[in-house]
Amino acid sequence: MPMRVVSLDYCADQYVLKMVDPARILAVSVDATKPFSYMREAASGVTQVQPSAENILALKPDLIVRSYGGGPNATAFFEQAGLPVLQVGWVNDMDGVKRVTREMAQGLGADDLGEEMVADIEARLLALHTKGEQPAAFYMTPGGVTSGPGSLVHEMLVEAGLSNFMDAPGWHDLPLEALARTQPDMVAFASFNSHKTPWSSARHPIARSQVRELPTARIEGAWTACGAWYLVDAIEALSEAKP
Amino acid sequence: MTGGRLVFGLAIASVIGILAACLLGSTPMSLAQVWAALWGQGDAADQIIIWQIRLPRALAAFVVGAALGVSGAALQGLLRNPLAEPGVLGVSASAALGATLVIYYGLAGLMPWVVPIAAIIGALLATAVIALAALQTRSVVTLILVGVGLSSFAGALMSLLMNFAPNPFSLSDMINWMLGSVANRSFDDLAIAAPFMLAGLGLLFVTRRGLSALTLGEEAASGIGLDLSRQRIFVVLGAGLATGAAVSIAGAIGFVGIVAPHIVRPFVGHDPARSLLPSGLLGGLLLVVADIVVRLLPTAFELKLGVVAALIGAPAFVWIAMQRRAEHG
Repeated sequence: MPMRVVSLDYCADQYVLKMVDPARILAVSVDATKPFSYMREAASGVTQVQPSAENILALKPDLIVRSYGGGPNATAFFEQAGLPVLQVGWVNDMDGVKRVTREMAQGLGADDLGEEMVADIEARLLALHTKGEQPAAFYMTPGGVTSGPGSLVHEMLVEAGLSNFMDAPGWHDLPLEALARTQPDMVAFASFNSHKTPWSSARHPIARSQVRELPTARIEGAWTACGAWYLVDAIEALSEAKP
Repeated sequence: MTGGRLVFGLAIASVIGILAACLLGSTPMSLAQVWAALWGQGDAADQIIIWQIRLPRALAAFVVGAALGVSGAALQGLLRNPLAEPGVLGVSASAALGATLVIYYGLAGLMPWVVPIAAIIGALLATAVIALAALQTRSVVTLILVGVGLSSFAGALMSLLMNFAPNPFSLSDMINWMLGSVANRSFDDLAIAAPFMLAGLGLLFVTRRGLSALTLGEEAASGIGLDLSRQRIFVVLGAGLATGAAVSIAGAIGFVGIVAPHIVRPFVGHDPARSLLPSGLLGGLLLVVADIVVRLLPTAFELKLGVVAALIGAPAFVWIAMQRRAEHG
């Protein structure tokens, strides 16, 4: 079991804060306590560090955990310095979430907790009523973008028993004209509390009327950031708001 | 072509441009559908699309271009320099900086007036510096350089804010301000900026006669009874208000204020007072057309209006500057 762990970015922070005993955490990233970090409460009181090579080497960790922190060459660099790096895997659906949860648990010496978490994800998803009609949900962020097939957001809607109003793959500006012609059945509104944008299409009267007039699930930014086990919180909120 | 016919022609062209812009959008609409929706008839969704999406966007492009065109013409008259323009003199960049500051500190969400007022304060500070510099020096080159310096400084401060952006969303907001766009503007946005813009344009039009007097030189102008300091204050205030309001709608869009007056000037006998209205109309028309081009280009992501304006405007700026060199040796 790695004794002294440091994590380089807030995606890695989530797993470290969840799976590692605080006494074994040397440091987490500077974003660990931000509003978009799911484990922000667990992060209070934990040392935070900028992911520069010097800072990390000075901490003399037994294990470095990262997804993107430290830049693209970080893994090669630290391994050259003799420090093992645990890489957070890329996720684009719930199977990926379960796989990465297991991988991280193994790497952090918390196999049992990993299995427990996967079982919890499966049980909670199973408990949702996803049979029958699939109302069309429109995902929208305060920054004025929506997402079509191929993204984790899309998978989240499907898991909640919804269909995605946006049928073009990838990320897009809000389709205001399409919204004027056909309305979705509900809105999935990503509320990033830390952020108010005075200049996005989400402020357009047509976009605002969707949120005002339709059943709306408010998706906390922290639930969807990094795509980890807590995505289930978002899926449950979506399922509850289903018309 | 006389000034009156020029104004009439530009007004007609502007109306046609705005109507043409209403034909473009992400969902197909026939000319008949657009026309019916404009008159409040036909399909309800068509009416919403025209009145809430396409028309506000086209009008936003027009009023922003018009405000920049008139401000450019007035500043050129005041400084007696065809290269003076809100973008070149750093007025637009300072206005964008003001707006970015309030976005950065999260004040923008407090009241809808915060962003336009911050943009206007930024614009007024820059115009005031330019006007003060104009008192100190007679060299037009020095004045332009002061403006370039102001513009760079505002740009540096914006980069500083971007450096400290608390999250990627704020960063993309700030980038939007720097690039300039009228996509997704609504009548609400126009209404918030309107009082400031109208006040600014009103000031510039009321004091336009003084600009004609200034073509004789400052001494001669004060000799025939022009109150020089009052004239300066009014033009600075007017251009600051109008440019700040324009930036609060569309972000920083450069070079409209130099291209429009430059094209108009020969038609109005090089009289700054008579160039204001046609410069405004042409500036508006130019941005409406540029915004149509932006939407017709087959790019995966829509180009920002400010980028296209700069791609056209910057070479025009260089060309005008080279011509001056040819004239003055």
